[in-house]
Amino acid sequence: MTYELLKGLSPAEIEHVLALGTRMKVPAGGPLFQLGDDADRVFLIERGRVRLTLPIKVREREENILIEESAPGQLVGWSAMIPPYRFTLRASVPLETEVIAIPRDALQRYFEAQPVQGQKILLNLAIVMGHRLQLVQAMWVREIQRAVEQRSAIGATAHSSASK
Amino acid sequence: MEMFLMAVCMSVFGMGVAALAFGAATRKPSAPLPPPAIPIAKAAPARFFVAPTIPEVASHQLPIEALLAQIENHVRIERAAAESFVQFPTNDMLHSKTTSTFVN
Repeated sequence: MTYELLKGLSPAEIEHVLALGTRMKVPAGGPLFQLGDDADRVFLIERGRVRLTLPIKVREREENILIEESAPGQLVGWSAMIPPYRFTLRASVPLETEVIAIPRDALQRYFEAQPVQGQKILLNLAIVMGHRLQLVQAMWVREIQRAVEQRSAIGATAHSSASK
Repeated sequence: MEMFLMAVCMSVFGMGVAALAFGAATRKPSAPLPPPAIPIAKAAPARFFVAPTIPEVASHQLPIEALLAQIENHVRIERAAAESFVQFPTNDMLHSKTTSTFVN
């Protein structure tokens, strides 16, 4: 298993970091965390899937819309590493899933004790966050572009109707 | 004389019967009756632009589960498009057309 947060660490170092956390089994359909919850730990996915969702209103009903689906080896819950330490998405599992939950406090103590390894982990975290930012940025610009095209089309239709 | 008159009367009578029979045999058939009136259906108005047989289903008519599935599929497609852009960032890649049924 390759954990994206622990790339570049030796197997012994990986074992050390994993030992900081606790393994959790989440039953199928269960939540891992809720939007707005205190974020005091990150999760490394060992087995299963995690769906990250945001609520939107669909016909007066609130529905959780998939934003991202994470697989074994991936990190979820990095809001635990940045202020204000609150989850900005909801995480749930579509099938029984096993994660390793590593508390922020334990990680920070490890970084202080092992700064070289800490730097590698923080660089990995920056890569994960940067990739997410790039994706969301591209998706957002695509939506804006689509909105512009729709407005232009509506404007052109209104203009041709008015000139008749 | 009486016998003569009797023969004349019989002849006239026989000629009358023969004339009637001849007339009956050679009479033209009477004009045909007009056919019974058949109710005619009101002609359908001419259609040059026929309405589509498959009505378009507006998004508000979709079952909510189908709509949610469309949205989820849209997010997956858009995410894949964004991944492609991040790998090979170009204008064309950023604004490539989507096949998502949610917006098309």
